[in-house]
Parts: sequence; structure tokens; C-alpha cells
Amino acid sequence: MGIRRQAITVLALAAMFALPACREGRVTDYTVPKEKDPELPPAEAGGAQGGDSQPGPGGGMAGTAVPTAGGASLLWTAPAAWRQKPATAMRKGSYDVPGADGVADLSITAFPGDVGGELANLNRWRGQVGLPPLSDAEVPGAVVRVQSNGLPFVVVDLASAQSQKRLLGAIVPFGDGTWFFKLMGPDKVVAAQKTAFLDFLRTVKPGPAP
Amino acid sequence: MRNLALQFRDFFVSLKLTIGLLVLGIVLIFLATLEQADLGVWGVQQKFFYSLFVLAKLPGTSLLLPVFPGGYFIGGMLFLNLAAAHLHRFKLTWRKIGIWLTHVGLLILLVGGFLTSLLQQEFQLVLDQGGTKNYSESDRTCELAVIDTTDARTDHVVAIPEGILEAGDPVQHPALPFRVVPKAFYPNAALQMRRDAPGAPPSLATAGMGPQIALTPLAVTYKEDDRNMPAAYVELVGTDGSLGTFLVSTELGMPQHFDYAGRSWKIVLRFERRYLPFSVTLVKFSHDIYPGTDIPRNFSSRVRLATPGAGEREVLIYMNNPLRAAGLTFYQQSFANEDRTSILQVVRNPSWTLPYVACATITLGLLVQFGFHLIGFFRRRSREEAART
Repeated sequence: MGIRRQAITVLALAAMFALPACREGRVTDYTVPKEKDPELPPAEAGGAQGGDSQPGPGGGMAGTAVPTAGGASLLWTAPAAWRQKPATAMRKGSYDVPGADGVADLSITAFPGDVGGELANLNRWRGQVGLPPLSDAEVPGAVVRVQSNGLPFVVVDLASAQSQKRLLGAIVPFGDGTWFFKLMGPDKVVAAQKTAFLDFLRTVKPGPAP
Repeated sequence: MRNLALQFRDFFVSLKLTIGLLVLGIVLIFLATLEQADLGVWGVQQKFFYSLFVLAKLPGTSLLLPVFPGGYFIGGMLFLNLAAAHLHRFKLTWRKIGIWLTHVGLLILLVGGFLTSLLQQEFQLVLDQGGTKNYSESDRTCELAVIDTTDARTDHVVAIPEGILEAGDPVQHPALPFRVVPKAFYPNAALQMRRDAPGAPPSLATAGMGPQIALTPLAVTYKEDDRNMPAAYVELVGTDGSLGTFLVSTELGMPQHFDYAGRSWKIVLRFERRYLPFSVTLVKFSHDIYPGTDIPRNFSSRVRLATPGAGEREVLIYMNNPLRAAGLTFYQQSFANEDRTSILQVVRNPSWTLPYVACATITLGLLVQFGFHLIGFFRRRSREEAART
């Protein structure tokens, strides 16, 4: 094999190995019959697929990952009647709380820092049940402060006659983050579970350091 | 110099190189099989077979180092080894034609595998029962579609592939009165309503739904049962300044609308589409089981193909009985939604005939080669018998 043929061989080898790098797409344009947009899913459900069902997970924004408070965790014991749901990347804990008139949802989440502060979070929750925001001066009258297992809970009970929704919530700073316990659902279901929810909060305690 | 050239030649024509490459190939397949549990088929293909080298992270850093020859390297070297050895050793004579054909067949097989890795395109057609679609979608790559919706009957689509978004190359297309400037691309990201994530960093988005949404980048997944949800921030810049930066994501599901230059537009990041020359309607999906058990016996989709100007026809697609139409092959791949949704795999592979050609050539070569031997054997035996008598 002469030098020239070797050179050709080496070039062919290089060209063949370089070919896979040429998988570049290009911009195309075309005209199609008018297509209807998929319907907007309800904001609270957060489902984002719309239209035909898609395979695989990633179905909705409600179950997506967000930065949560790392480090030490809180532990709790939920009543037997509450049905545990699979925890998602966003939720530390998740339960269906059944009642005579439907099912309420209990979510346990944790985020780094103070997550905007007490007033912002309280007003966020008030907005979720259809109540107007409060001013800073009105906060003390709207919350109950409870100390349990060394943890300072801020507990709220928010109900709106208009939306027929009730939210029992507890905010507790722990470690470098803030934990949120939120039971939300039909007014009657959540009201019937108030004692159970408060008892449940008393079971919340710091877990072992990681 | 001549000595070096001879060494070079001897290396490439050596049978030891063949054996070495085959052993490396076996080890590569073994390693890939082990990793398939974590990466899935597609991930393993990309990492082990459709690569020059298998790369691994140096522990404690993000530096990628080649740790093993990949499929392209081993296949490419095998191709060169086989071709070089053949040119060097074998003379083109009638008696050697069988060996020639066999080796040419092997070379075609290697080239076929290589071309398939480059040219084969796989898409999915996800159809709900009774639903109709005239396009298939990728389940991995996405595209940014900027659509002029002004016309009452048609949409004019400008589709920008993911590669351009990832590279951040601005696009000025003749069909668009503005420039599309990709600001950031995330191969996998989670979205959340900003009101539910008060601690999220500020958004780059200034228009559409983006300002209300918090984005969290996620690691790329290769798992079979998982799906990447790409997202991007894209700024549109007209002649008189910026129209705003949009957050687009396949997870949003719906396009974002705006008006500009007297026309109506929508922008959406969606899984890459390939429009078909016909529409496909899922008439019925069947999931048959063996009586008295939950063991699947057959999955099949009865579909109706409607080609404009050429009428309709119904076709039954089931396992090992794909539909071939318009250069595409439709396989029954999966199902979802409690048997109400059928998922067909749509494959375009321009080199799909090469393995058949290769196998036929190898078979012919072996038949000729052994045929010569057989004839030689019979001739020798008849000569020996003649000598004995």
C-alpha cells in the first residue's frame, strides 16, 4: 500500500468519524390547515399536556420538582383514615383526606429561606380560597401561634362562603427553610377535620440530622 | 519512511487487529447491557454505540474523559481492517469470488449499520380512539414553532429545531417580521406557578405566561419510563425593538398568542413534528389477553388512512405486522390511557434495505465458496477412485 493510498485511507477514516458531528437541524417553514389550540387546563390542577394523551410522566406542573429545603427533615404521624399519596419532588408529604362531602388535599412542602415572609404566605393562601389580602397590622388577629415539640407553628383557618373552600394551614420555620402544612378542600370536609389536623400538627417533630 | 508505511499497512491488515476489535465489541456490548438498566435503550445507544469513545466523568469534576472505544470507533476500524486486509491479501480471481462476496457483504453490513445510526428517524404517533392526526412527533427532540395564524383557514409555521436553540443562534427567517433570539435552553426543566414557589429566582421572561411561571432546570433523563421536558427563554426582536422574552416549554402544552406587524402569531415549544402526506384516524385499539389471565396476547390498532385526492383505506397494525406507507413504517409500540390511546412508532430509515442486501451477498458468497470446495472435493475423490481402479 503506497503512501498516497494510506493518506486516502486516513482521510476516509477521518471523514467517517467526523460525519456523526453533522447532525445539525435547519429552520423549515410550511403551511398546514388551521389547528385548534389544546384547551387550557384549570390553573389549580396545573395539568399542561392538553389535547391527546401523551405517554410518559411529566403530565402536569403540580407534580414537578422545585428546590425544597434540604438538611434535616420533620417527621409526623398522620391519622389512619388519611390516604397517603406518592410524594412528588415538590411535596415532602401528600395525603387525601376523605370526608362525607368529598376529599380534601393535605400537602407538606418545604422551601429554603423564609419564602417571602409570613404576610406574603398568609395572603397567598387567602387568595387560594378567594379571600382578600390582609395588611401587616391585621396579621396578629388572623393567626394562632402554637409551640409544639420545640417548633413555633403559625396556624390559620381560612374559609370563604363564596368559594365554599376552606384552608387549614400551618407555617413552621425549621433549619434553613420553612415548612408548610396545608389542608385544603370543600369547606365541610376540612371543617370536620380541624381537630384531626391540629392533633396531627402536634405529632410533627424534628427528625434526626442527615 | 517506507518502513513506517509498511508498519502502518501491517497494522491495518492484521488479523490480530480483527480479533482485538471483536473482543472490544463484545466487551462494549456487555458494558452497555449492564448500563441499560439506568440509561435505557436510547441512552445506551448514544453513549456506547453512536459515539467514537465512551465518555465518563472524572470523579469529583464535570470533566468527561474517554474510557473505552465506542461503536463508531470499533465499527470504523473493523471496516478499515476488513477493506485493507482484503485489498492487500486477496486477488480478484474466479476461484476467490466467494470470499470476495462474503467480505463485500460484511462491509455493506457495517456501512448499513453506520448509515442507520445517522439517517434513521424515529417518531411517535399518539392517537386517542376516534382521534385523527396528520403528523407524528418525536419523543425526544423539540422545536420552537412560530406560527402566523392570521389566515382563517391555514397556519404558516416556521419551525426552529432544538439544536439552534441550544446553540443560541439568532434566527432571521424571511417568513418572520422579527428576529428570534434564543436566550437560554434547558434540555429538561420543571415548571411551577410562581405563586406556589415564592422563593424562586426572578424570571427572564417579560411577555406571555412566562413572568407567572418559575422554572427549575433538571438533569437530563434517559430512562424508558421518563421523559425530558425541554424549556427555553426566547426573545423576539422586531425592527423597532424587542417584543419581549417568552418562556416556552413542552410542559406548557398550549401556545402563547401575540399580535405584531398587523398579523396574529403564536409561539410554542413542542416535540418535533413530521407531517404525513395523509391523516391517520384510530378506529379501534385492541388489547387482547389470554382467557382467564392478564397476560397480553396481542395489541392491535385499526386505523383509517385518508390521503387527499386518493380516498381512504383501513389498515390493521399489530405486533410484527407494521404498516409501510410513504417511505415510513408504522409499528404498534405501546398504549396508554386505559387502552383508549394507541402509540405507534413511525420510522423512516432510507438505508433499511442494506442489511438485506448484505445478508443476501454474504449468503451468495458462502454458497459459491463452499460450492467450489464441494466440487473440488468430488473431483478429488473421483480422481482417487480412478487411480485405485
